[in-house]
Amino acid sequence: MPIVQFAPFASLVQPAFWHELTSLKIDVLRLSDEALPITGYYTLGRSITDRETGSEIVLGCNLSVGPESFHKSSQPPSGAFPAKGHFKNFNTIEDFKAADKTALFNQETERMWESIVTTRDTSSLNSFILITYADLKKYKYYYWFAFPSFVAKPAWEIDELGWKLANEDLSHDSACFLLTSIHAQLRATPLPFFLVRAGVEIAPIESYASFFANVPPAEQTIGFVDPSASPTNPGWPLRNLLAYMRAIYPATTGELRILCWRDADVPAALAGWKSRVGIVHTAPPADAAAAVARPSAVGWEKTPQGKLAPRVADLAPMMDPVRLANQAV
Amino acid sequence: MHAIQQQYWSVREYLSPVLKESKFKEHGRITPEEFVAAGDFLTYKFGVWTWEKGDPSKLKDYLPADKQYLLTRGVPCLRRATSLAYTDADEDAERLLSFGDSTGADEWVETHAGRKSNMDAANPGQIDDIPDLDGPADDALAQGVGALALGADAAAETPDLDDIPDMEEDGLEEGEDEATAAPKATPGVIDASQVEVANGNLLQVRTYDVMITYDKYYQTPRIWLIGYDENRTPLTPPQIFQDISADHALKTVTIEAFPHSASLQAASVHPCKHASVMKKVIERMNTSVVEEQLAQRKSPSASASSKDKKKWFGRKVSGAGKDDKGKEDKGEEEEVEGMRVDFYLVVFLKFIASIVPTIEVDSTASF
Repeated sequence: MPIVQFAPFASLVQPAFWHELTSLKIDVLRLSDEALPITGYYTLGRSITDRETGSEIVLGCNLSVGPESFHKSSQPPSGAFPAKGHFKNFNTIEDFKAADKTALFNQETERMWESIVTTRDTSSLNSFILITYADLKKYKYYYWFAFPSFVAKPAWEIDELGWKLANEDLSHDSACFLLTSIHAQLRATPLPFFLVRAGVEIAPIESYASFFANVPPAEQTIGFVDPSASPTNPGWPLRNLLAYMRAIYPATTGELRILCWRDADVPAALAGWKSRVGIVHTAPPADAAAAVARPSAVGWEKTPQGKLAPRVADLAPMMDPVRLANQAV
Repeated sequence: MHAIQQQYWSVREYLSPVLKESKFKEHGRITPEEFVAAGDFLTYKFGVWTWEKGDPSKLKDYLPADKQYLLTRGVPCLRRATSLAYTDADEDAERLLSFGDSTGADEWVETHAGRKSNMDAANPGQIDDIPDLDGPADDALAQGVGALALGADAAAETPDLDDIPDMEEDGLEEGEDEATAAPKATPGVIDASQVEVANGNLLQVRTYDVMITYDKYYQTPRIWLIGYDENRTPLTPPQIFQDISADHALKTVTIEAFPHSASLQAASVHPCKHASVMKKVIERMNTSVVEEQLAQRKSPSASASSKDKKKWFGRKVSGAGKDDKGKEDKGEEEEVEGMRVDFYLVVFLKFIASIVPTIEVDSTASF
């Protein structure tokens, strides 16, 4: 059976974020390079039909940060789900280069694992790290995101059917009813991760034991808001969700029915639903000690060239007053 | 010079009075209240649009504090507008498009319908800097040549990771992770072979954040664009100009300070001609709407489908919580009112879509 491959998060930094960082650096942080809490957010995966070729083009699996990311109490935009992270701005490029990234990463994964094992809280499953160096004189911002994700050993596999469209998975009427009903409930109470049982009730993941107490395994579904729109790859959040399920409920999670929720709006026709369903399996780990230990994690964002290296946002064309003056006609 | 000009514009906007009475059918201009009503309709009907507060220090007091401007994020842009340059060969390829009306009274002609993209690696369609008008002619020529050379460099202008030598870290993660989806050559393209080749062998899916503000001086909405390339790096102004149709790129679209942020710069379509264009479009649509409403009154037993359409134009936003049922009934009894102002922004987006043909701002096409 093929191994489940997850579409990694891709960072999207709004230019306004850099503007906010600039003023924060000058007015508040100054020379401090303390780690600060930060909030990013992601939305449902989107795809678009190319009008010329008629093919479906999938847009990226993005986690974005904007100017409001620095404010602790900010509300995510409507339809978006928050992801908490830690942000560290370095004063010099040398510090940025020399930063102990492994230690930062381990610290974050340790924190995530703690919250899974002790508090059983799903809110830290989408944690991320952002390190930056701002070259304010040249309007250049060096940055590197990490989206830590626990590696399952052995890996999750999906059965031969792969990720099917949710409306094909069920009979016509029930699919329509089920999906519309989930849509309405998620709109009322947005949950990044949720459980679905027959009768179309949804509940937070934290209530797994009681909610599925009398439900046969075949009727249990675990759903998550999927920032990926790729037909073959579920989004990154699922990975930590599966790690969470394995860690807390090892006995009952050898086989799981997963719903990748991708519908922001109720489509006009039944065929328009984009959510996907798949059944994933995993085998018990080889030795019992490994089952309770913190799994290793991956997640530093790669550059477009596929290298593990930081990225640069060059905002001089949009910020440098001299270049703006040249641009003006 | 530019700074002085911007200062002048902001003073002029500050001094100009807020439009009080509705003039949208006569002049194509709208009042702030109508902007809010049309914005409510847009956000209600098309969930991708949201109202934003903006920077509190830049609050415009003639708009509600929580409805300062409209925003939609991540609008895809599959091709460069420069690839749509028209050629005589496909002059005849016209197609009639009908928007929202089954009678065929309001058909639009889409020219060059079956046209293929003419852009390839050899013709990347760079829009060069505009040579200065003042200065001797040969100077301008030299500058033009210089700009061409710059144009060739523009590809290399995208962030150059050589700036950070030795930053690649090999030891950070052990080995390849089998459960990470391999990055595709083009982010997110399902089947690269089916998709037209836009530049080299990559389809460059850019995304845009699109904002609509209310311009008090011109009394029209105004559109703002912030773009990202396929690697989510902010676009430079020349790159943004590639997505604007050649008729407008060098004339009406400029990079300016975004009015609801202290420091942000964005590309904007200058609104000086918006009112007159909107007036024309509205007149055309209005005639057909009025006709339809008249026909509706004559034959109350009109087919259900055309009744639906009629409602579309005649209805007040139910999201705004106004007395929409009562008003509609009254409207049918009293007089034919034509297109409602709520529809203004939907029409506006269709007009903007002609300026930025490859940016899919017009999510409303499906109605």
